[in-house]
Amino acid sequence: MSAEKKKLLEVKGLRTCFHIEDKTARAVDGVDFHVYENEVVGLVGESGCGKSVTALSILRLIPDPPGRITGGEIIFRGKDLLKLPYPEMRKIRGKDISMIFQEPMTSLNPVFSVGWQLKEAIRFHQRLTEKQVEDRAVEMLGLVGIPSPKARLKDYPHQFSGGMRQRVMIAMALSSDPALLIADEPTTALDVTIQAQILELMLEVKKKTHDAAILLITHDLAVVAETCQRVAVMYGGKIQEVAEVKPLFDEPLHPYTRGLLLSLPGFKNEDKNRLPVIEGMVPDIMSFPKGCKFNNRCPEVMPVCREEEPELREVSPGRQVRCHKCQKK
Amino acid sequence: MHGMTTYFIRRLLLIPVTFIAITFMVYTVLRVVPGGPIEQAQLQIKLAMMQEGGATVLGGAESEVQIPEAAMNELKKYYHLDKSIPEGYARWLWGIVRLDFGRSYVYGEPVLDVIISKFPISIYFGLIGYFASWLICVPLGVSKAIRHKTGYDTATSVIVFIGYSIPGFVACLMLLVVFGGGSFFDFIPLGGFRSANWAELGFFAKILDQLHHTIVPVIGYLIGGFATMTILMKNSLLDNLGADYVRTAFAKGLSEKRVIFLHAMRNSLIPLTVGIGQALGLLFAGSFLIEKTCNIPGMGLLGYTSIIQRDYPIILGVLVFMVLIRLTGNIISDVVWALIDPRIRFGK
Repeated sequence: MSAEKKKLLEVKGLRTCFHIEDKTARAVDGVDFHVYENEVVGLVGESGCGKSVTALSILRLIPDPPGRITGGEIIFRGKDLLKLPYPEMRKIRGKDISMIFQEPMTSLNPVFSVGWQLKEAIRFHQRLTEKQVEDRAVEMLGLVGIPSPKARLKDYPHQFSGGMRQRVMIAMALSSDPALLIADEPTTALDVTIQAQILELMLEVKKKTHDAAILLITHDLAVVAETCQRVAVMYGGKIQEVAEVKPLFDEPLHPYTRGLLLSLPGFKNEDKNRLPVIEGMVPDIMSFPKGCKFNNRCPEVMPVCREEEPELREVSPGRQVRCHKCQKK
Repeated sequence: MHGMTTYFIRRLLLIPVTFIAITFMVYTVLRVVPGGPIEQAQLQIKLAMMQEGGATVLGGAESEVQIPEAAMNELKKYYHLDKSIPEGYARWLWGIVRLDFGRSYVYGEPVLDVIISKFPISIYFGLIGYFASWLICVPLGVSKAIRHKTGYDTATSVIVFIGYSIPGFVACLMLLVVFGGGSFFDFIPLGGFRSANWAELGFFAKILDQLHHTIVPVIGYLIGGFATMTILMKNSLLDNLGADYVRTAFAKGLSEKRVIFLHAMRNSLIPLTVGIGQALGLLFAGSFLIEKTCNIPGMGLLGYTSIIQRDYPIILGVLVFMVLIRLTGNIISDVVWALIDPRIRFGK
């Protein structure tokens, strides 16, 4: 990795637990990764692997109770967000780090107009006159491709389609020029045709504004291939592999990454009629196996995998893998 | 906004239709059911004759007591019962339009005068009870939602549960027994709308006296909807606090206060506004039992006694007021709902 790249966000050993009745579910169990300034990083994994919880933990949006961040550090521009007093944290939300969510249909407040909600976000973080706030809102709506933005400010969320609402969310998230945009499955709930539009739009608006870094959370490797520069693959609440996109797709090192890639249609599959699958199901969060979390589904499992959990180890510059096989190289 | 205007015009046009349907049904029932003023008159004449005639009548069959045909017709004419049901109803309705509600059979006074003498009392208790229920239930429900599953929540739930179990009039009775000066304490009057010497009191003494008489009945009215409204408020807010848009609001950096009291609160009030029409109707109708226990001469008591006495004009008059209040209450509820929720305002 070139040395001039500056780390914007560094997550170290993040642990987030959920206490349900008297059990504790460790949804995020020691996650380490970082995001450089201006880059687009994908955080990939199946449902339940802890990727959304990781995203929410960064902004400290985990509902408590039942959730709680129990350990680790989230260093953003040199400050540990987990140690910030709450009012300081609030100033970072929406200003330095913004977030958009999976469900555009329900992510906007149904009883306030879109303009009201957009202007609220702008007003809250920037010292502007009411006129400037209005202008900024119109500008942002125009930027995300909403026709006649000035008139549509008065409209309510139910007068927008899902794709349009996600555009509004993007406008709102980028309105205060954040340094980092966390996008939690922003296209999952949308039509396939709209998905590509929204992803393209995110990248386009990012360039047109302050070139925010994006942490894109998704289960869709095709999306990652199109949009990201680097990828972190997550399984069982832990990062399993980190790499730049091209090397990862060319030569996946972790058996789990390999399994994910092989299950993509059109990806190096010999048999054109059948897609390979990863055997078994993601275990219940309480019952991951001892040792490597993937050992009960791994086609290349070795005895040591059942005993000892491998470390996340750097195998080449910028490339980290959590697997006993790779560690022997 | 255009959609809303036509919507309310449609709703307003429905008022007379609903009104006529309800009153016509009740009018018909009253005419068909036995025990009306003619029968009552017959009974009284019978009793009078029995007293006069003594043993001779006692021996004969009761049906032998006859009122002359001519007198019967006179009576029917007097009570407007000589017309067919549709014609009688049309006459009655025409009277209502001209604000002529007829005369009470029992009191002999114009129905409107009788009702107007009771109506302000019911409005007084109804409005106070209704606003008090908002003032108490909304903050209580909100605080319970914010402190969900804490000791405070459990403790107040006990109070809510007790409130839910006690009928309003029983609560009034208990308060009167304990605080009414009989056996234990003497804090509150034993009932009535005002003290007997109210007219002689000074301005502030008048207010004080009025409030003094207001406490117990209002508590009675409150208890009726207290539990339902508090829990509705709590659950509604709790639901909304878990909604995606609340997470968005937090992600924007807004304060907890703003998120709860502006973003979530406005959504949470929607289910409460839906009940406005019904609540107003119920409160203005007055609870007969509470009025009876607290000795308040309101609409509930009037309606009840008029039914017992078969005082048809009063029954119908009370009905007119109830129906109109309920219907306008529903419209108020719709207006408030539309003000809070744009999805209603603009149609789906």
